[in-house]
Amino acid sequence: MKTSTQLAPELRSGSQILIEMLLRNGVTQIFGYPGGTIMPVYDALVGSGLKHYLFRHEQGAALAADAYGRVTRKAGVCMATSGPGATNLVTGIANAFMDSVPMVIITGQVPSALQGTDAFQEVDIFGITLPIVKHSYIVRDVAEIPRIVDEAFRLAEGGRPGPVLIDLPKDISAGVGTLVEATPEPSPPARTADDDALLAASGMLSAARRPLVIAGGGIAISDSVGVFRDFIARTGLPVTTTLKGLGVMPTDDPSFVGMLGMHGNGAANHAVQNCDLLMVVGARFDDRATGHLSQFAPSARIIHLDIDPAEISKLRKADVAVVGELAPALDAIRPENRARTTWVRQCASWKKEFAWRYDAPGSGIYAPKLLRDMSRAHPDGMVITCDVGQHQMWVAQHCHFDNPLEHISSGGLGTMGYGLPAAIGAKVARPDATVVCVSGDGSIMMNIQELATLKRYGLDVKILLLDNSALGLVRQWQELFFEGNYSEVHLDDNPDFAGVARAFGIQARSIREPEEAADALDWLFATEGAAMLHVSIDSMENVWPLVPPGKPNHKMMQANPVNGK
Amino acid sequence: MNHTLHLQLSSSEGAVVRALGLIERRGYSLNSCTISVPDGTGRSMEVSVNSSRPADLLKRQLERLHDVYLVKLVPAGANEPQKSGIRSINSGLSDLT
Repeated sequence: MKTSTQLAPELRSGSQILIEMLLRNGVTQIFGYPGGTIMPVYDALVGSGLKHYLFRHEQGAALAADAYGRVTRKAGVCMATSGPGATNLVTGIANAFMDSVPMVIITGQVPSALQGTDAFQEVDIFGITLPIVKHSYIVRDVAEIPRIVDEAFRLAEGGRPGPVLIDLPKDISAGVGTLVEATPEPSPPARTADDDALLAASGMLSAARRPLVIAGGGIAISDSVGVFRDFIARTGLPVTTTLKGLGVMPTDDPSFVGMLGMHGNGAANHAVQNCDLLMVVGARFDDRATGHLSQFAPSARIIHLDIDPAEISKLRKADVAVVGELAPALDAIRPENRARTTWVRQCASWKKEFAWRYDAPGSGIYAPKLLRDMSRAHPDGMVITCDVGQHQMWVAQHCHFDNPLEHISSGGLGTMGYGLPAAIGAKVARPDATVVCVSGDGSIMMNIQELATLKRYGLDVKILLLDNSALGLVRQWQELFFEGNYSEVHLDDNPDFAGVARAFGIQARSIREPEEAADALDWLFATEGAAMLHVSIDSMENVWPLVPPGKPNHKMMQANPVNGK
Repeated sequence: MNHTLHLQLSSSEGAVVRALGLIERRGYSLNSCTISVPDGTGRSMEVSVNSSRPADLLKRQLERLHDVYLVKLVPAGANEPQKSGIRSINSGLSDLT
């Protein structure tokens, strides 16, 4: 470790101890941006063996750490200075909190003696982030660093994962001490579900005539995909997923009915509304999934499996609560085999009735078809990171996922600007994977500066930019629910995106005609290194179906009632 | 509806603010709060809150906090069965038979 300060062999700076503890916790790559109060840590970083990715905005670093955490299931680490550096991380921290992503955040802080004096670049980031962290620390003693770092990783990755923040005053990071070996605390025993609840769940499933499973993001988080698929194969239950559950069952699996919710598939929403038993696995009854809560699954009794007891009966009362690790619980639920031919056929019939169509009217490029074609062209899978908006819903609806780690999307927070930094984080985590960022013209501008990061590190990330010259989802709502009173949604003065990409040293191509699409997709993936395909689409294209606000899920709109589009 | 909870917290920085912030953020308004340091190593807190949301849900949300060692509901009068937070289950006949 090369630093500007030379200490006696037994002594180390707080920053050197911090870096050593990151390495001991298995960290190899971190994402960040230097500045005043974090400078001692950046000093200790040189020659430490930790690979640091310099972003062009702290938010990009935090969102990349989030995606890294999703892909690896290990805490992504991001770092920034105090004040604006720390506040720029906040969106990324909230993003990780809402989607239960393991993350460790290190922020510089003004020296302890200046805290509370409105010092230059002082903000109370500990206080600001209290509602959006799983836990947080202000380090008050160099000797505390080993214990705090060990504990931070254990908390971030254990149980229901989440972000943990370590605020490091400059007198601590620049202070001197010895590395006090932390006494490792025994990990708490894995929480196992109650036997009575498992029996009750098995009994309720055995008796159900129209049972249905909702698979959520918790299955991937807990690495339970294999056990879950075994459970479905054993029981023959039909499965819907939330946005974050996509890929838990392969998209073409016969038992997969579709994604439920506001922009879910009609088959999934009808199945949910008509089932008599819902087994909800690692999901939390988010309003975008349930529609009008009091009319959600009106005939269903509920079995709720989750690691987090605070999710049980938060929004919908559980008749049976199975609280604990998902994999052993799924393995232990053993309902009697029962043929439910009528119900299974009904689900299959809905799937057929509500299958996606790609014969849309209009002469332009139809984004859902483009996404389906892109997905089909990569049968071995790829990691798709999304931004937020219409394109995000089209990805969820029309791309094929064999594994939930192939779909990286900001679900709970809905963070525009997530896609590009997330693609960087995913590519760093999985350098051998094909990684594509699907973005929109609104979202890409929120973190467009990270094209420089792509270029800097020579990362082979593909960008598919769907440009409708509008904030499309807001425009769609204004069209449908605000009588077409369009307010601040038009982006027809967008820059030349391909030109912007080229200015950053990224190869780019623009298309607008359907006949160009196949060749352009081939070009995007055949091009060596990072590349952007900029696709102009109809600005009035909408995402269908849509469950209007305040309506139950089966009251989906399939098209604009006025113009049929 | 009023609920009273007894909490035992660590003495670490921010523990009290974190717990009180969660209580208000999750939809429970604070009627009163008493904090004591019974043995010098941790803190003890008694809070009275008002909410239409159930007390046991708040208890489970507080128990998630790393700083919180123990949460007890202090019974006020008869033990009423807890309902779900925002709605209770609505049963009805399916249109599919």
